[in-house]
Amino acid sequence: MNRWIDISLNNPLLVLTLAVLLMAAGYFSYRQLPVDAFPDVSPSLVQVFTETEGLAPEEIEKYVTFPVEAAMNGLPGVEKIRSVSNFGLSVVNIYFRDGTDIYFARQLVNERLQEAREQIPEGFGDPQMGPISTGMGLILFYYLEDTTGRYSLTELRTLQDWLVKYQLQTVPGVTEVLGIGGWEKQFQVVVRPEELLRYDVTLDRIIRKIRSNNLNVGAQFLEKNSEEFIVRSVGLVTRKEDLENIVIKEHNGTPVYLAQLADIRVGGAVRRGVQTMDGVREVVSGMVVKLYGTNSSTVIGRVEAKMREINKALPEGVRLVPYYQQKELVEAAVNTVVRALLQGIVLVSVVLVLFMGSVMPSVVVAVSIPFSILFAMIGMRFLGLSVNLMSFGGLAIAIGMMVDGTIVMVDNIDRMLREAPPDMLKKEVVARAAREVVRPILFAITIIIVVFLPLFTLQGVEGKTFRPLAYTVALAMLGSLLFAVTMAPVLSLLLMRRPGGKYSDAKGPVQPGESRIVKTLHGLFVPFIRYFVRHRLLAVMLALVLLGVGMLVYPRLGSEFTPALQEGTIILRLTMAPSISLKESTRITRIVERRVLKVPEVEHVVTRIGRGEVGAHTDPINSAEMYILLKPRDAWEGVATQQEMEEKIRRAVGEVPGVLTNFTQPIQMTVDELLEGVRAELAIKLFGEDLAVLKEKAGEIAAVIRRVRGAADVQVDQVSGTPQLLIRVDRQRIARYGINVEDVQRVVRAAIGGEKAGELFEGIRRFDILVRYRQQDRADVADIRRLLVAAPGGARVPLAQLAEIRELTGPRQITRENSQRFITIQSNVVDRDIGSFVEEGQRAIEAAVALPPGYFVTWGGQFRLQQEANKRLSLVIPVTLLLIFLLLYSSFGSVRNTFLILLNIPLALVGGVIALWLSGQNLSVPASVGFIALFGIALENGMVLVTYLNQLVRQGVPVDEASVRGASLRLRPVLMTAVTTALGLIPLLLATGTGSEVQRPLATVVTGGLATSTLLTLLVIPAIYKWFAAIPEHQREK
Amino acid sequence: MRRFCKEILRTFLMPVFMVVILLGGCSPLSEKEDHDAGREHDEVLEHEHMHEAQRGDTVVLPDSLLKEFGIRTAVAGPGILKGYAYLPGEVVIPSSALAHVHPRFPGIVKEVFRQTGDRVHAGETLAVIESNVSLTDYPVRSRIDGVVTEMHLVKGEMVDEKDHGFLVADLSRVWVYLKIYQKDLPYVREGQGVLLSAGEGFPVVAERIDYISPLIDAFTRTGQARIVLQNEDYRWMPGLFVSGKVEVRRKRVDVLIPRSAVERLEDMPVVFIRRGDRYFPRMITIGLENDEYVEVLEGVAPGEEYVTEHGFVLKAELQKGLFGEGHAH
Repeated sequence: MNRWIDISLNNPLLVLTLAVLLMAAGYFSYRQLPVDAFPDVSPSLVQVFTETEGLAPEEIEKYVTFPVEAAMNGLPGVEKIRSVSNFGLSVVNIYFRDGTDIYFARQLVNERLQEAREQIPEGFGDPQMGPISTGMGLILFYYLEDTTGRYSLTELRTLQDWLVKYQLQTVPGVTEVLGIGGWEKQFQVVVRPEELLRYDVTLDRIIRKIRSNNLNVGAQFLEKNSEEFIVRSVGLVTRKEDLENIVIKEHNGTPVYLAQLADIRVGGAVRRGVQTMDGVREVVSGMVVKLYGTNSSTVIGRVEAKMREINKALPEGVRLVPYYQQKELVEAAVNTVVRALLQGIVLVSVVLVLFMGSVMPSVVVAVSIPFSILFAMIGMRFLGLSVNLMSFGGLAIAIGMMVDGTIVMVDNIDRMLREAPPDMLKKEVVARAAREVVRPILFAITIIIVVFLPLFTLQGVEGKTFRPLAYTVALAMLGSLLFAVTMAPVLSLLLMRRPGGKYSDAKGPVQPGESRIVKTLHGLFVPFIRYFVRHRLLAVMLALVLLGVGMLVYPRLGSEFTPALQEGTIILRLTMAPSISLKESTRITRIVERRVLKVPEVEHVVTRIGRGEVGAHTDPINSAEMYILLKPRDAWEGVATQQEMEEKIRRAVGEVPGVLTNFTQPIQMTVDELLEGVRAELAIKLFGEDLAVLKEKAGEIAAVIRRVRGAADVQVDQVSGTPQLLIRVDRQRIARYGINVEDVQRVVRAAIGGEKAGELFEGIRRFDILVRYRQQDRADVADIRRLLVAAPGGARVPLAQLAEIRELTGPRQITRENSQRFITIQSNVVDRDIGSFVEEGQRAIEAAVALPPGYFVTWGGQFRLQQEANKRLSLVIPVTLLLIFLLLYSSFGSVRNTFLILLNIPLALVGGVIALWLSGQNLSVPASVGFIALFGIALENGMVLVTYLNQLVRQGVPVDEASVRGASLRLRPVLMTAVTTALGLIPLLLATGTGSEVQRPLATVVTGGLATSTLLTLLVIPAIYKWFAAIPEHQREK
Repeated sequence: MRRFCKEILRTFLMPVFMVVILLGGCSPLSEKEDHDAGREHDEVLEHEHMHEAQRGDTVVLPDSLLKEFGIRTAVAGPGILKGYAYLPGEVVIPSSALAHVHPRFPGIVKEVFRQTGDRVHAGETLAVIESNVSLTDYPVRSRIDGVVTEMHLVKGEMVDEKDHGFLVADLSRVWVYLKIYQKDLPYVREGQGVLLSAGEGFPVVAERIDYISPLIDAFTRTGQARIVLQNEDYRWMPGLFVSGKVEVRRKRVDVLIPRSAVERLEDMPVVFIRRGDRYFPRMITIGLENDEYVEVLEGVAPGEEYVTEHGFVLKAELQKGLFGEGHAH
């Protein structure tokens, strides 16, 4: 280390050049870092969607979900496969181990998907992987505004699907554009059933005929006089009229045209989602999905530019209007931390000048901030971290700490320059001063990095949220270490002057060159220090009292996981009855929209009901997400924050009969959806085959659990609730007519649901041709009973005579995990230790619930995660402590000293706890991060002091005298490091912008903790130093 | 040494304290309480009465909401419930309304007066034939009033008595044969009213079933009902395909409600009864029903006010507690 300093001091120019290069590299890294709002907490997940028109959950599960799941089993790195079979849609989520490369995972899934495709029956859909994106990928939503009122929803949707979508998808960084709302254009062949009878035609025949009258073929080429003519035969249906003129049948030379049997219309396809706006109209809209790993802000910028281009290409009066943009959030979040960062830098510099009393040393110290930050940037680039609230938050936290090492260094150099005999070479003085403190600095900074170790072991969402912070802190500290041991001495040598020859040998507490503030503080502190050193027990008492207060306050703290990040966009989520129809959910949604619009600050409301093109959302039609677009903040009346605004809207909406409402935010919502975790502490999963048995047994289990002491909010998943019209073909009855089951089902499918009979091409745009019965002939159960099925002999038999038709309530969705159906029973546990609750519950269930063979129960939920986290932390924290202990021990070579320094930790914790309590905040993960940072700072302070005390004692100063003198001499660096750290955090403490709610608890803890720890470092440690000092032999004998 | 031990003990407290704080902070356990509290607050804005409603299987709805949600009510009362069978059929010429016209003697056709489609009267001369036997002309006359549907005589043609001269059909009255599916057979009776139509653009006429064939078609397994239609304007062309809506039932019932009033709750049909601003579901027993109305045998008394439209809102409100959990996934 000493050699290092000598080399630096001998080559100042080299050091400076390297430093400038390093900082430049940092700056370029920064320019290349992706910018996001938050760290992406989405799991490593590949989603497989399969859309199958009109199939019920049971069939979806059997024909689609199961083959997909089966194919995915056994892939390397798969942690869990979870599936949801909904009406018409199968979603299989394949969760890979955290950190699995997403492209690798997709490749694996894709290979197996081929296998699955072969297993899925023809016409039951084609499984597709979701977009290459994450929960943060939905970067921009827009709708098509038609000011002319001339365009129908079908036309607008066609514009969206065939013009806007493909244009936007060409933007680099955009992986998908998904449309929703309006009507997808479709050519509908609306069959009049009585005409089928009249002309003796079956639906099947119509479908066949349409298919065989709609194609183009190529026939190679023809050679003609040394030229080749490509031969093509054109027979595609391109217009409605072409369809109408398809001949279905011929009788004695008289053709029967399709138009005679059916009306051909351009209409909207069956839809499972609607986009409404302002309680009055429907709109067509789209969502832009960002490619995984791309830079949100650049992609959004490009998308915006492209949208301006598209607007020009759109018909007069139609334009794209964005209604949600992640850009605003990204900017706001980054602004919040950047502002805090800059303010922190300013505040720290001011403090430096005040304490150092002169400008040059302050400059040396201040330069360490940009140096450390830019150094961290290089590291971020290597680690693939993005600029976001958390990673920059880490820098903001570290501002105060970045300067610590340099402060100690510069302080010592400053002091030595003043104390050193004038004949000594300046370089020699600087080198000696630097050598004196280099070891403690090295250890102190290492310890700060080490205390952040537990953060690196956090898993799941917390891990992904806070690891970037830990990384940047560690990187910045590393940078500051580098600066303190190389740049600081060099810069000091170049910039700092020795006091004009005034050699002072005064060993008094106040140095002549020191600033007024330090002098005043000295005046205040020294008497106290003297007093406490004389009355050691009092010092111990003071420490104990503080500890006691901490212990008292601690249980009063509420706790929460992570405070919700305010994204600045409010979504009101409506959940309606599962059996609801799309028409009814649209009607209800509009009522709620009108209520929301009554709030004067609300400008527009755009709501997505159900789902559009698959890829991003899989919501059923009973769920609606209402984006509330607010007027600019200066137009708000009587509300200031997002929460207050939510409250105001909540009041305006009031109670909506039959609808559950809750507020959420875009990213939060998407990520929650991907995580699909059970939010209750305890989730009992009952696995088994039969849905009815599952439901019944789950009910029994819930009843048993409710009786266990401590159970609260026990709830069974509602798996049923969707009404079904079950048509069960009677085999005996069809046998009489010689009809096959399939014949009946084809009629059912084509007549009621409609069947695709090919596509109609308009240029490259293609639209489905759907054959279906006239609405009035399939509207009702009675109509369906009357559907006629053709017997091979030619007789027509009504469906009611061939099948049993019943109304019943079926499953609303079937969820499976690792290829087994399950149902979840959730519970919270109050006033009781969860471990014993689980034990008791397990016993009770074993005793009271008889499960049929093949049925089993697993216990999971948040408590499992927590147990795992606890297990990990119970290993990591002692290891960290041990590491710190070893570091301290190797630095001081004394167990006693080490304990003395470790004593700082509880005393620092007390301050943090009290500060949280006073500010009314909860114990949360960010607060814990604050505590971790606090350990580091407290240890650092302790080290600085104890090192000096030891030094004095070694020089032969009596312990008591050394305690007082050491404390007062080290007042400046200790106070400075504490105050800079605290002030560096003040902007975060006071910030109100987006993301500040996550940083505030952290800042609170550190600031509060610093207050107590500094106090105690300065008063208690010197007082009890005597008990812990490694007193040299000769002194002890006295 | 003893002091050293004490020191160790004392300092040992610290890591414990530290672990406690860290665990407390990181525990997702504690998060749930908070999360849930927030959610409850979010989802249920507690109106006093709403709360009560969920307990007692009753929904309380201020009148102001009725209009907003389109909920309509009516007072239960008697009505006539008709039952229908929907039968396909076609227009045929009654066999009694056909008349063949044959030349009486072989001969040569001298004159033809009427063409296919011409209306003729009974006794009207349709053609004149010179008899081979007597070599005198004799007229061929229509036996009935009607329309010439077939004409096989050409001037100068030699015909004999076996040749078909004309076919005259009296279309002033036609028959409609409706096919009766097996499922409808027990209900369709002679004398029942029937609405007939040949589809869009055709008039809907009310008639009665005149006759039901005692036999079942061996091939299609359908019965046959006959309706006689007046057809002065010849609009009902034989061969025309018609559908018949037969009123198989007409019953006066004590409580008749529209289908839209019936909601399903736990697989049981219910109707929401209104008392002031309170609504509660009443399980009903359905008697007869048709496409639009149902007869309530039990559950709704005459004079009670019940919800006729958008009762679903009330049903959803009742079930709100159930569908809240795990919204979709």
